[in-house]
Amino acid sequence: MMSLPFLLFACGLGAAWLRQRGAAMGFWVAGLVVLLVLFRVHMSDVLNIAL
Amino acid sequence: MPGDLSRLLNALGLILVDAVLALAFVDQLWFRDLPCPLCILQRAGFIAAGFGLALNMIFGPRPSHYGMTILGAATGAAISIRQILLHIVPGSGSYGNDILGLHLYTWAFIAFALMIIGSALLLLDDRQFARTEPWSSNLNVLPLTAFMVFVVLAVGNVISTLLICGGSLCPDAPTGYLVP
Repeated sequence: MMSLPFLLFACGLGAAWLRQRGAAMGFWVAGLVVLLVLFRVHMSDVLNIAL
Repeated sequence: MPGDLSRLLNALGLILVDAVLALAFVDQLWFRDLPCPLCILQRAGFIAAGFGLALNMIFGPRPSHYGMTILGAATGAAISIRQILLHIVPGSGSYGNDILGLHLYTWAFIAFALMIIGSALLLLDDRQFARTEPWSSNLNVLPLTAFMVFVVLAVGNVISTLLICGGSLCPDAPTGYLVP
């Protein structure tokens, strides 16, 4: 699951190389959304900043 | 700023992103410093930010491509700030090796901030967007090299993350590869 953003970005780069700009941007948006979801999953730890 | 100069500057920016991602691999493979989950997400942030630079080289500079770079860098910066905050209190430990006194996540935040500032500065010049003739589909050696290395590093991160985390979420402090 953690490799999914990289996979989507790599697919987007492939689409860009094939001059498919819309597809490239679509893969980028999907990758960014997955990245944000994974960030949300991993930021559940409580910050140890109590003084 | 002519469009060709803009393309060159984007290529140089992408080479710097390539260098950051390559250094992360050197730290992982040479110094055996396996990336934590937030470290992996910061790598993805660098690729998300570099993506806009790559599109600028292939399709020509457009404001939307710079927007992609800024959004990707802002996401990466948020992730690195989160990791800095996890270790901000003295005695709360740190993760991984330090370079010149700063840990990789701190350097990552600085790099993301510089990418946002650099993209904003490049956006200030409207002349790069005024070109009417179509862009050549042939990339020069420097942009082509920057793009190809970027693709290799993105695919390398797919493989590396699969080896460390498998098909699910990563362990908080990975001690080895799931697939030796």
